Amino acid sequence: MAEKQLHCTLAAGEHQKAWFAQLRKDVFEKQRPYAIIQADMPFELFHVMEVPVVSNQYWAAIISAKRLSGYYLDALNSMGFHEGLCRYCSLAAASTLANDPEHAPWGGLPKPALLSARLTCDCLQRVFAIWAEAFGSECLFIDNPGAADLPPRWWEFSRYHWRELFEEHRLKFTVTQFQNLIEALERVTGRQFQIDRLRDLMERVNRQEEYFEEALQMICSAPRTPVRMHEQVANVMAAQWKRGSDWAVEHARTFRDEIRNRVRQGVAACPGERLRLMWVGAGIWHDTDFYTAFEEEFGAVFVWSMYLAFGPDGYIRYGLDDPLLALASRTVSMNEQLHNPPWANEWIVHQAKLHRIDAALVLTPMGTRPAATGNRFIERALEQAGIPVLPVVADMVDARDWDPDAMRLKVSEFLRHRVLPHLNSARRHS
Amino acid sequence: MRTSDMKNSDFTAKPRNTIAPIDRLIWHYENPDAEAMAAAAGNVPVVGVTSNTAPWELIRAAGAFPCVINSGNPNYPDIGTFMEEGVFEERIRAIFGAAISGDLQHLSLLLIPRTSEQEYKLYLYLREVARQDPTRRIPPLYLYDMLHTRSPESYSYGLERTLCLKERLEELTGKRIDDAALLYAVRESNSARKAIRKLLSLRNPVPRVTGTEALTLIGASFFISRDEYAHLAGQAVEMIEGRAPVAGKRVMIAGSPLNHRGLHHALEKHGAVVVAEDDWWGSRSAGMDIADGSDDLLKAIFEKYYLDAPSPRVFPFEIADAWFQEESTHGIDGVVFYLPPEDCVVGWDYPRRRRFLDERRIPHLLMREDAGSISEECHEQIERFVNNICIR
Ligand code: SF4
Ligand code: SF4
Repeated sequence: MAEKQLHCTLAAGEHQKAWFAQLRKDVFEKQRPYAIIQADMPFELFHVMEVPVVSNQYWAAIISAKRLSGYYLDALNSMGFHEGLCRYCSLAAASTLANDPEHAPWGGLPKPALLSARLTCDCLQRVFAIWAEAFGSECLFIDNPGAADLPPRWWEFSRYHWRELFEEHRLKFTVTQFQNLIEALERVTGRQFQIDRLRDLMERVNRQEEYFEEALQMICSAPRTPVRMHEQVANVMAAQWKRGSDWAVEHARTFRDEIRNRVRQGVAACPGERLRLMWVGAGIWHDTDFYTAFEEEFGAVFVWSMYLAFGPDGYIRYGLDDPLLALASRTVSMNEQLHNPPWANEWIVHQAKLHRIDAALVLTPMGTRPAATGNRFIERALEQAGIPVLPVVADMVDARDWDPDAMRLKVSEFLRHRVLPHLNSARRHS
Repeated sequence: MRTSDMKNSDFTAKPRNTIAPIDRLIWHYENPDAEAMAAAAGNVPVVGVTSNTAPWELIRAAGAFPCVINSGNPNYPDIGTFMEEGVFEERIRAIFGAAISGDLQHLSLLLIPRTSEQEYKLYLYLREVARQDPTRRIPPLYLYDMLHTRSPESYSYGLERTLCLKERLEELTGKRIDDAALLYAVRESNSARKAIRKLLSLRNPVPRVTGTEALTLIGASFFISRDEYAHLAGQAVEMIEGRAPVAGKRVMIAGSPLNHRGLHHALEKHGAVVVAEDDWWGSRSAGMDIADGSDDLLKAIFEKYYLDAPSPRVFPFEIADAWFQEESTHGIDGVVFYLPPEDCVVGWDYPRRRRFLDERRIPHLLMREDAGSISEECHEQIERFVNNICIR
């Protein structure tokens, strides 16, 4: 497990663990309802209705970090689900289908009252329906309208002009889907949804993301990054899963403060930083040490991943008179913004420039193939912006095909033979 | 359509009317662009569609020539510059290749329905290539974003999108789509559907036509005018009716859609006769008629594509599986599940559907190879499977 330099990283980990233990207790002892949902769902609605949520991707990352992915995916394959199926979104379901709580991290997922996902691909409804059946739980889907109009530089419009950025019919439709979800949550909890509570929460989410933005700006402007990528991810995601809660806003502030102190004191995550790397795609959760493996020899530090950067640009919404519509605009195009042309490639190049990136590694997740769409556009755009790219074919949760030594060697060669000569020549020319 | 089938497509070489209807349909299946090219040459706007959930009748009623795109080279070298290896189906790659290489410039519009997520991505990719490189002769693009989940909201959304499509088509051709034009188009396409259903009745329970031939004869309907198709297919049906039954174990294919005859051919080489496929290219191409007596024809057309067209996005399972369950228990001796290497969708349905067959003691075979290039080993597997099937 990679080194943790920030106090708040430890606090985030401990908080997550304690929260989950409490969840199990609440669910088993007090029959409290909770939900399992896909990472790109409107978590805000669950928070307002006080339904705790476990994100599918979060649980997959936990299983993977505990090196259990091979065990569960083998179990899934032995049930007749072939090896070419998506692993990231199905690993947690596999852990339920395997029905072996002894093995499961922290005792495994208890039965949820509800499972829910946005239909961003053709397989998710299948994964979630199979999973819900195994639990005997209700399953609710949010259908996902496609984007036909994608104006350039979305991040310049997403905060104030989100009504114009996303097509009106898509937003309206998404609101109808949210209303169905709200009804389900009212049924599950016996509580009534209050729109003002959502507005308050959305305001707190804005505050949380503003703290993240300040942190990001310091990472961009400090001579060397004060925080490594994997620690950014740990802190940001712990807060994003609970966005808008007092704990999450406070945690974002602490994270910002700790970074500010480090910058003021001139503390760098890697004092020998010479190369700034970008990681495009979900993390390699089964080998997070990978992200620090190039510091010693090359001074190469991973500085950027989508997790921190997407917070401010993707989540902040000003003008909350219709919070449900604003929430729809936060949710409706996450997939296009993060993965697909033109929005993903444009945004990632913009981020690379802001972060003074020297080289990028782009994950092509072969075990999660449709999630690999848009990658060639991203790679080409980065290269055209003068940033050398190494495509990495690997799976974020499945370690079965991952050869840690070979991957490290491959990256080292890339840095040695492509990035360093490229930088030297660029420096000579400037 | 295999690339090799496509190479010599030249619409001027189309067989003349005097030639037997079956040969003419085969020719059209093997030359999918021919009629579209001829229409474009005659200044008729041509609207290409990438799959089955686009309302043919609307395009027709606007005075344009609708045709499914089934050409292109999946190995066109520039595809890899933009498309990730192993992510997209061969057919989608081929359409992409055709579009970026200028081979679809005879189209006035490339209409991409949201039949699958891959097609949505195809739309986004083509849009971006066109933006980055305006010198490529990519036709204008349109995303027809009908959703396929069964909910009142998806229904309303789809109907609204259909109205927008109508406006776009009117703008394209300069012709208003009125009720008379809609009715004419509905009747024309219903007549083609009727002919297809007649053809299907000659496949099962007593097959008088091989699956390979049936797929070809049905497939031609995507590339020519439906009037002409209904006429030719009607004649073909009369000829086939008089044939002796085709001997063989009656097999159904389920899984990923097959836009070529490779798997049918392989199965029939080993003693099977393919009598059905859970696929919009074959048994599910026609479905039911559109109610031509409806007082809201546009809605009736929309409902046809929303409720009666197969798509991997149709959900829940009861609805998505209904056709498979019904057909596999009627006159089928065995089922082949076709899950090509790039599959990451149908594989989720496979264990459930396999269980359904096991409970009814219907034999089945899983095929994971690309049907465009079947290995010797796979041929042997198919042969063993067919030999071991007991006729029910
Ligand atoms: S990989 Fe992309 S699409 Fe999948 S959950 Fe993560 S951000 Fe969303
Ligand atoms: S395609 Fe993407 S969203 Fe769908 S199951 Fe796979 S990884 Fe998940």
